Amino acid sequence: MNPITLSLKLLGRQGQSMPLVMLLAGLAVATAALSAVSLFTDRVGRAMERQASEALAADLIVAGRERVPVEFVDQARSMGLETAELVLVSTVIFAGDESNLIDVKAATDGYPLRGRLQVSPELGADDREVEQGPRPGEAWLEPRAVRTLDLELPATVELGRRTLDASQVLTWEPDRGGSRFMLAPRMLVHFDDLMAADLLGPGSRARFRLLIAGSERSVAEFGSWVSDRLDDNQALITVADAEDQTGQALTQARRFLGIAALTAVILAAVAILLTALRYQRSQRDLIALLKCFGASTTQVGLAMVLVLAWLVLIAVAVGGAAGWLAQESIVRALAEAPVGELPPARLLPLLGSAVFTVLLAAGFALPPLMSLRRVPPMRILNRAMDRMRTPWLLSWGLAIAGALAIPVLQLGDLRLAVIVLGACLVLALALALTGWLAMLGTRTLATRAGPSWRFGLAGLQRRRAGGILQITALGLALMALLLLLVVRGELMSQWQSSLPPDTPDHFLVNIQPDQVEAVGERLTSIGARNLQIRPMANANLLRVSGQRPPDDRMAGQVNISWIDELPPANEIVAGEFFAPGATGEVSLAEMWAERLGVELGDELTFESGALEFSARVTSIRRVDWNSFNVNFFILLTPDAGQVLPHQHIASFYLADGDGSVLRPLNREFPNISILDIGALIQRVQEIIDQVSNAAQVVFFFTLIAGLVVLLAAIEATRDERRHESALIRTLGADNGLVRRGILVEYGVMALIAGLLATGGAAVTGWLMARELFNFAYQPTPILFALGFVAAFILVLGSGWIGNRSVLATPPVRILRAG
Amino acid sequence: MITAIMERMHAPEKLILDCRHVGFRVDAPDGELVILDDISFQLNGSETLAIVGASGSGKTTLLGLLAGLDRPTRGEVWLAGQQLNQLDENERARLRRQRVGFVFQSFHLLPSLTALDNVILAIEIAGMDRAGERARQALAQVGLDQRLRHYPRQLSGGEQQRVAIARAFAIEPDILFADEPTGNLDRSTGERIASLLFDLNRQHGTALVLVTHDPHLAERCQRVLTLDGGRLVGADDAQAKPIAATASL
Repeated sequence: MNPITLSLKLLGRQGQSMPLVMLLAGLAVATAALSAVSLFTDRVGRAMERQASEALAADLIVAGRERVPVEFVDQARSMGLETAELVLVSTVIFAGDESNLIDVKAATDGYPLRGRLQVSPELGADDREVEQGPRPGEAWLEPRAVRTLDLELPATVELGRRTLDASQVLTWEPDRGGSRFMLAPRMLVHFDDLMAADLLGPGSRARFRLLIAGSERSVAEFGSWVSDRLDDNQALITVADAEDQTGQALTQARRFLGIAALTAVILAAVAILLTALRYQRSQRDLIALLKCFGASTTQVGLAMVLVLAWLVLIAVAVGGAAGWLAQESIVRALAEAPVGELPPARLLPLLGSAVFTVLLAAGFALPPLMSLRRVPPMRILNRAMDRMRTPWLLSWGLAIAGALAIPVLQLGDLRLAVIVLGACLVLALALALTGWLAMLGTRTLATRAGPSWRFGLAGLQRRRAGGILQITALGLALMALLLLLVVRGELMSQWQSSLPPDTPDHFLVNIQPDQVEAVGERLTSIGARNLQIRPMANANLLRVSGQRPPDDRMAGQVNISWIDELPPANEIVAGEFFAPGATGEVSLAEMWAERLGVELGDELTFESGALEFSARVTSIRRVDWNSFNVNFFILLTPDAGQVLPHQHIASFYLADGDGSVLRPLNREFPNISILDIGALIQRVQEIIDQVSNAAQVVFFFTLIAGLVVLLAAIEATRDERRHESALIRTLGADNGLVRRGILVEYGVMALIAGLLATGGAAVTGWLMARELFNFAYQPTPILFALGFVAAFILVLGSGWIGNRSVLATPPVRILRAG
Repeated sequence: MITAIMERMHAPEKLILDCRHVGFRVDAPDGELVILDDISFQLNGSETLAIVGASGSGKTTLLGLLAGLDRPTRGEVWLAGQQLNQLDENERARLRRQRVGFVFQSFHLLPSLTALDNVILAIEIAGMDRAGERARQALAQVGLDQRLRHYPRQLSGGEQQRVAIARAFAIEPDILFADEPTGNLDRSTGERIASLLFDLNRQHGTALVLVTHDPHLAERCQRVLTLDGGRLVGADDAQAKPIAATASL
């Protein structure tokens, strides 16, 4: 019989046997998880590639905190280059009774120099390409902005002093890339309108950009001309930089989902190994018989390779289809933050997943199957003649290394892959250790319980290694889902409620010195509480005790303030705060000082405008950033305020919260930018929700993989269970006792798995709360209820399904077993 | 426990097993396959009986039917005054747990339980009180009082079979079924185990039905039934001869 016919017959005859079904399920789950992630990242990647050439809406950008000098524009034009200018600023926009933080982009005529804008007359309508940005007096808002401001186009919106006509929905801007999860929605207006809105006072947080486009040579020439003339606050952005930025966003997304997929793959690999071992055990008699009849080692080996190949083919088809559906769910989960319209999914990434499935099969299923080649025909006469040899270490090692190489490629980062695999291993070991200890506890219990408990717990002890594997696999998957489904939301709400009731929820920035008094009065009159107004100046850190500061993003341009007494939510941890009348001293936040290696007694030299000044470090403060007060890394003695150009920043709590009371203030002082922290937190939460929803889709496969491990382990020990069941029924146990025994065994496993999952999720949440948010997280009963109910349904359900045949085993079987 | 054994030893001989024209047939692709045909005999309490025969003669099937592990397709089996044919699976299990002990060729101990717990489990299944105390006594009787906390894998074959014997006698059965009890042991260990089995049987006044290939072991029984092709072909004493269907308990 040729190997193809043999393999098809083996598959045809045993296609419905559990070991084969479970092997197929393990392969299919791995394919599905990988396909979902690779199909999704492929779509996002292609969307980004499409944008890359247009990612800047120009060929070169000069970016800075202030408007670029007019000589730059003149020089570019003289070189025959096209130019346009942009300003980007986040501010609160009013529309009727609604107000919201909006990312405003103001563009001169000619924008975009590369790519096209797309607009539609209303939400959901067909969009069209347009050559030019909005005319003066016009505002185009992206769909999210239209929704948050509750607009029916056409409508009017207020931008500082200007009232604009919101006429179009902005559906596409070429230079949107890189900020996939941009906090605030976009509004595009004409440059002149923003300039006339009085929002851009000195020290405002606006970002200015000069866009350049033209022939490659002229752009390069301009680039080298301008690079010699840039000051510290200006930078050149090239197309390559933009690609890096968008590429980074893609890499982040791919890594995040890749990690989720990796956990599914690790569990699937365990399931594949278990089922392959079980399958080869079940085939040894048949193979011995075939060899007796003359089948050669090569024929058997080839047939096994082919059996596995057929299984991989089916797994790729089934898993690929499941992955296809799942990636649609991921795209829908991220619908609010896509890179515009994603191109449709294509089949190519499935090829990569298929290759991976082949490697996984080769690594974890082929070695046990190939060991069937060495089954001696003598087994037919005497089973003792068939000693299962441990497969050659190298054949396992190479295959497993090959299979693990793919996740490394998937994550695109060896270090990260090692960290993830290591973290998974440590977590799994921790769970396994806890599981083992819990099982030891049940051993003590077994000696004090009735017959069904004694029988059930004896089963658990007997299959302890398998049991630990099962509860670890399921506990891990459940823990990941509980973290995303429950702990995430609880952390957010508990953190918010952990803040004191009058924690500032609004910031005003860009208050000019002559406006401070009036702004303070207005805020008090509209009921602002916990009001703090602090001066703020920008300065460059030049030297630390005569040395250049380290190359760190926290060095360079810094915000500084001055004060005569220790502000609230600050605590001195070293040195002493300024004595009354002190001059030339500086107090640093602990985090900043540690990062830059600055110590008490060091002298810091700053430059602000043409002014250079120095101050000696006399104290280090620990700052509670969660207080939401205005806080600074660097505080100077009040003498600094007399010489430094500055503005003020205010923080306060607004009782009525809807922000509309701030409207008259905004009209009176249009240069002041209002930041609504509540809205900001809500945006962050929305983004976290979206990413979590996408990850949940992938972690769902992890849960399925955990279930496959569970069922595979049940399958692997089915004969043993049937034997034990037959034995105690021979001793006089009735069906009820056997059933209760199984319930005890799986009930205890479910209990431990639920304990591991909920405990793991709660501890992770507690650690995150302590380390990241600085509050004590208290898991709610929902976490435990959901975790335990899910564990019981999954473990008991699988146990019941997997053990139906155990109950049906007649006791007389025990005599047949010898 | 001792009192119960003494009472049983002095009680008049009572019929414990009555096998009436028992047959067992299964459906095979080529028609019905006869495993056992028209087997009849009776056994009194405290009697010992060996069932011998070649492989495939139906010995083990007969043992299963006598112990109520399965039901005959023809005839009747009466065990301890109850007709097994009329009992369902759970009712037969209840009868076994109260009246029947087993010793198997492969010992069949639960590997995750200690010697003591294996015996306790059987006593608990039988619904008897003071399970720990009874189990310790039973293990002491087979000379394993120093091995109570050992797991089966830590015991030799002979020791495992002694645990199995202790498990069988601990529930004070009326009848003990042993399937090749020395089949997996070397000759000298096998002889020691057989002696132990017969000694305890005598002490407890329990009836014993033994399936074996070993003629020496069979000779130690008071009666021997020989099976061939599913039929009873020989009985070495008068009582084992086929009896009339009208015999009653």
